[in-house]
Amino acid sequence: MGKQEDFVLRALEERDVRFVRLWFTDVLGFLKSVAVAPAELEGAFSEGIGFDGSAIEGFARVYEADMLALPDPTTFQILPWRSSEGPATARMFCDIVMPDGSASYADPRNVLKRTLGKAAEQGFTFYTHPEIEFYLFKDEPRAGEEPVPMDRSGYFDHAAHSHGSDFRREAITMLEAMGISVEFSHHEAGPGQQEIDLRYADALTTADNIMTFRTVIREVALNQGLWATFMPKPFTTHPGSGMHTHVSLFEGDQNAFYEAGAEYQLSRTGRQFIAGVLQHASEISVVTNQWVNSYKRMMFGGEAPSYICWGHNNRSAMIRVPMYKPSKGQSTRIELRTIDSACNPYLAYAAVLAAGLKGIENGYELPREAEDDVWALSERERRNLGIEPLPKSLNEAIAIAERSELLAETLGEQVFDYFLRNKRAEWDEYRGQVSVFERDRMLPVL
Amino acid sequence: MNRSSQGSDLIRLGFVDRDRVEQDLARLGEGSTDLLAYLGRTADPDAALDALCRLAEAAPDRADLLEALREDEGTAMRLLCVLGASAALADHLRAHPAHWHELTDPDLGSTRPAAWAIRAALLAAVGADATAAAPVATSPDGEAVDALRVEYRRLLLRLAARDLTHDLGVDDVAAELSDLAAGTLDAALAIARARVGADSSCVRLGVIAMGKCGGHELNYVSDVDVIFLHAPADPDADDTAAATAGRIAARLAAQLMQVCSDHTAEGTIWPVDANLRPEGKAGPLSRTLASHQSYYERWAEPWEFQALLKARAVAGDLALGAEFVAMVEPMVWSAADREGFVDAARAMRRRVLDHIPAKEAERQLKLGAGGLRDVEFAVQLLQLVHGRSDEVIRPPTTLSALARLTENGYIGRDDGEALHRAYAFLRTLEHRIQLHRLQRTHVVPSDEAALRRLGRSLGFLKESEKRLDDTWQAHRREVSRLHQKIFYRPLLSAVARIGSDEVRLSSEAAGARLAALGYADPKAALRNLEALTSGVTRTASIQRALLPAMLQWFAECPDPDGGLFGFRRISEELGQSPWYLSTLRDEGEVAERLAHLLATSRYCTDLLEREPAGVRLLAGELVPLGSAALTEEMLATGRRQDDPEKAIRAVRAVRRRELLRISAGDVLGVVDVADVGFALTRLTDATLEAALDIAMRTACRQRDLAEPPTRFAIIAMGRYGGFELSYSSDADVLFVHDPVPGADPQEASTFARVVAEEVRRVLGAPGPDPALVVDADLRPEGRQGALVRTLDAYAAYYAKWSHVWEAQALLRADAVVGDRDLRDRFTALIDPLRYPVGGLDDDDILEVRRIKGRVDKERLPRGADPALHLKLGRGALADIEWTVQLLQLRFGDQVEGLRTAQTLAALTAAADADLLSHDDAATLTTSWRMASRVRNALLLARGRAGDQFPRAGLERRSVAGILGYQTDETDRLFDDYLRITRHARAVVDTVFWDDPRTQANG
Repeated sequence: MGKQEDFVLRALEERDVRFVRLWFTDVLGFLKSVAVAPAELEGAFSEGIGFDGSAIEGFARVYEADMLALPDPTTFQILPWRSSEGPATARMFCDIVMPDGSASYADPRNVLKRTLGKAAEQGFTFYTHPEIEFYLFKDEPRAGEEPVPMDRSGYFDHAAHSHGSDFRREAITMLEAMGISVEFSHHEAGPGQQEIDLRYADALTTADNIMTFRTVIREVALNQGLWATFMPKPFTTHPGSGMHTHVSLFEGDQNAFYEAGAEYQLSRTGRQFIAGVLQHASEISVVTNQWVNSYKRMMFGGEAPSYICWGHNNRSAMIRVPMYKPSKGQSTRIELRTIDSACNPYLAYAAVLAAGLKGIENGYELPREAEDDVWALSERERRNLGIEPLPKSLNEAIAIAERSELLAETLGEQVFDYFLRNKRAEWDEYRGQVSVFERDRMLPVL
Repeated sequence: MNRSSQGSDLIRLGFVDRDRVEQDLARLGEGSTDLLAYLGRTADPDAALDALCRLAEAAPDRADLLEALREDEGTAMRLLCVLGASAALADHLRAHPAHWHELTDPDLGSTRPAAWAIRAALLAAVGADATAAAPVATSPDGEAVDALRVEYRRLLLRLAARDLTHDLGVDDVAAELSDLAAGTLDAALAIARARVGADSSCVRLGVIAMGKCGGHELNYVSDVDVIFLHAPADPDADDTAAATAGRIAARLAAQLMQVCSDHTAEGTIWPVDANLRPEGKAGPLSRTLASHQSYYERWAEPWEFQALLKARAVAGDLALGAEFVAMVEPMVWSAADREGFVDAARAMRRRVLDHIPAKEAERQLKLGAGGLRDVEFAVQLLQLVHGRSDEVIRPPTTLSALARLTENGYIGRDDGEALHRAYAFLRTLEHRIQLHRLQRTHVVPSDEAALRRLGRSLGFLKESEKRLDDTWQAHRREVSRLHQKIFYRPLLSAVARIGSDEVRLSSEAAGARLAALGYADPKAALRNLEALTSGVTRTASIQRALLPAMLQWFAECPDPDGGLFGFRRISEELGQSPWYLSTLRDEGEVAERLAHLLATSRYCTDLLEREPAGVRLLAGELVPLGSAALTEEMLATGRRQDDPEKAIRAVRAVRRRELLRISAGDVLGVVDVADVGFALTRLTDATLEAALDIAMRTACRQRDLAEPPTRFAIIAMGRYGGFELSYSSDADVLFVHDPVPGADPQEASTFARVVAEEVRRVLGAPGPDPALVVDADLRPEGRQGALVRTLDAYAAYYAKWSHVWEAQALLRADAVVGDRDLRDRFTALIDPLRYPVGGLDDDDILEVRRIKGRVDKERLPRGADPALHLKLGRGALADIEWTVQLLQLRFGDQVEGLRTAQTLAALTAAADADLLSHDDAATLTTSWRMASRVRNALLLARGRAGDQFPRAGLERRSVAGILGYQTDETDRLFDDYLRITRHARAVVDTVFWDDPRTQANG
């Protein structure tokens, strides 16, 4: 036992913890949890907890089912929503390893770790700062019924008896109790829509935090008799839930995107990174926006981009270079606006980082800045400016992704293969559905 | 003394520039020649003399100086040695000429200054009261900073004189340098307190030294690593007061660092590096004890604990510092039990080795093989492995720890002493290099003058450069040799019950160490070790010398336990053979190869266990024998025996020997995969040729025939025909014969059948040597057809019944064994079939694709994953071979290069003829080689053939090892395999199936 493990074992005693949940994430981004009794934990640290990998989306082939979840003691936390009275429950994130001790390439956490490792080889650390949007409904979802939002407020509204602010207060308290710092929170544009921004951290921590965040938000909502959803676009008429993410690379303690005196204080590395993400945006779209529903968020303008371009404070651009704050060179960053709240954060961040690194490696030229509102341009004008559209549907995104070496390399062959097969199946199933839209439109007239 | 004799004297004394020397002597005036003998013992007599002249010019008491030098040998030696070895200290003396008086102190030769005295002197220099609890500098700021530098150098000057003149132990020098650093930190803190002002009294600041300073083994010039911690001076301070104290502590710490590192008119001291603190550069400069504790309990990485081994409270509030050290100590000693700790530590070292620029690696003292880091690393690793249960071995200083490890049996006594000598030498050399300009460097200079100076400073007054270099290299070799053995040798003392006055490693400690080194079952390993080494026989004593290295080699392979066990069995078999142990002992390569094979390949282990004498083979080149030599040897071997059974046993024994040669070369990475296929094919040719020879002679004898009634040939088919055999492949063949003119066709036919059956029987029969299954199922009409046909019968059959799949099978036909003329005629018969004029028509192409579709669907074993089948899987062997064969059938009549039985050769020819792009051909080649290598490796690893990519576990580990992957990255091999075959499948889709291309982007 190392002392990290000793610390955990001691904490189990002192806090009277009865169950420890071991968390990991499947390929689609769903949190998986195995509960073990504290007595089993010592064994789990040294040998891992065996489980049937074939039962987890994308983890293993049927005949090679044995996998081990190895808890990472540095992620030990008491779960605050289960500890108000009586014995407590705790959680730890796990790394997935093969029986021979090799790290599993199918583990999304490992996908991100590998990509971060590649960045580290070039001397970079990758920092991310997500702004997570989600909706709160009055009730849990029922098939066939349109959900009722918790309130009718709008962007930055402050209502005196706002459930929303109560909700946010409790959620933030709980997040802080789990060691996740919240930067900012407010009501978003849609009714019942909230946004909470997490403090910037290295991408692996952020991804772990996002997984925790989603769980915390759901738990708090349930406690208050509400339902929280990260579905990218629950309403036809209201804005969708994105996860705009500010990203930056650091070389040691220097921000690699910053160069004093350059345009927008953006260094060559920064420009090449943006160029990489733009160039490969369509290929990684299936990961940044992985659901059929994701593409419905991206077709109405507003905060969700549909075109591959960048701009300085241009809210219609896919990548925004935020306003420069003098004397804050360390905070130079870019905001990526495609990612939605229902992505698998490990895979999404790995893909974005890989695309950006490719831009740096191959010295891509940054295309011209989009100065206009790209939504307002005509198709011809956009083409003239060289602005390409993002995939318009999951189907298009899959087709492009299937031919992407970048994506295959980043995800690893197992995840790449499984993920695309799964998405293809999702699309095929969706394609066969007869929708409310069709009935409403056609039954009366056909 | 006349000029010329004085000149040769000067050279004998080590001077270089005679004219200059005479000028300098003249400048010094009368009596200065008395100093020549002293100068001759300095590191650089010319430089020392020159520096003395300058010092004399700068000194107001020049006459006293020269007088003192002439009168007191001690003073002369101290001053001149410093001037000769350190240009930086010579400059210091010129700037502060009064300091030469320091070196007249006779106590320098005998007394090490106490740490408190050093501290008091440094504090006094800045006007601070050394007896105060928190001394504050009273001199004006600029003066204090300069005074600190001057005082530091004054003390350094005294130390350097002791070091150079009075044979100080290197550990004493390093310890004194650490004391000097500690005092300097305290004096710098006094200046920092003055800068911060009255506020400074509300906080207690502790300075913990880490790294070399913490270990009490500092260099002359190096960063001083520290960690700061603080506490409010008032124990009852509320939160606000505590926060204020934190801010003040950070200011004090920052000022302290600045005082040490700033460049002023008096130069700089050294940089203070606080990056080992929690969170490194990103963390706050100082923390409270509680904050440190929560960080180390929750967030720290394994290496941070390794760093804490050296933590020591040296300056500021020592009581607070002591609390810190007491807090971290228990954590340090549990770090070694962390899963993967040893792996991580070793991987770290590998990275360090990889990252040294090649240009410097040769001249690096610190990093690189046999460098200082090797010793420090080994000592720390052993401390961490055994220190938890044994407190005695915990001292933070490398040399002390080494001594304790040796005294307590964790390192063998001779090894420990040799390592001690080497480390002391390397450190001394490092000190002398740094002393010259007081620069931080770990590179041994390459220019002659510098080497000469260094050599002389170490006492090599004659042939200085060469002797320095020889000694250095010898120590370096010694370190890298011992570095391996010190981990392993004591394991033997734990099991070998022989009279020895050395302290033995307990069997618990030995088990812990074996587990740390990668042995899965330490108990079994200890039993095997005991069996190998117990007793007082000569065998056992050679084994004891051999095993430390063997254990290390096993540990670097996928299956160390298996390797050790295999070695035990072979040694028991061969222990008495006079050549065995001496070969292993005297030819290092043989032992290393054997260890590698045993701990990697069960196939090789099996071959060796069948015939342990095969070990001898490992001394050779491991290059497969040529075809002619092999055939000749096999034929001759067979013919020496009259009894056919004995003859065939002899042939099979030769085959076994050659299989070992090829497989060993394969496992050890000296033979390429295509060459393995060629070698195995040639071996099969020779074996069949010899077996055929025996069978023909036997048949003749049984029938009382002088000559055989028919000519006989064997046609290689399938992978055998294509030079692509694997270790356990069956040999696919056709048998053909042609009765000699006048022979009775019936009798000839019977004769031929008997011969064919005999060849199959004798080679396929179970026996002590591996069997070769000869498979004739590809013959016309398959198993229903006659085993042997005449050439005419083949012609008649193909004229009548030829199907496209038969033509396809004939693509791989290679007539190799038996009657030369018959072989040529067979080839002439089938060429028009397999390379049809005008290629294939559309129906035939459709038919080939239809059959392939059926094969894909039906031949794959039930439950097999199509992506992972090495033969029939996606983008694997069959996919590629069919693609190539379709091109051969279609274009073989036009493109000569396609008329070959070998897949890769045909692929190259097809690309050259633009039938597919060179990129596509390369993709297919890569995949074909990958699948073939995995198949071979799988067989080598587990001793049985397999067509499924190995599952995670020992098998995949071994396969990864044979393929050159690190054994802890087997899933990377898997990922590579899937990617390579996916690419190949895309090419097959286009080229074989004619599907629109799924173009990869990027």
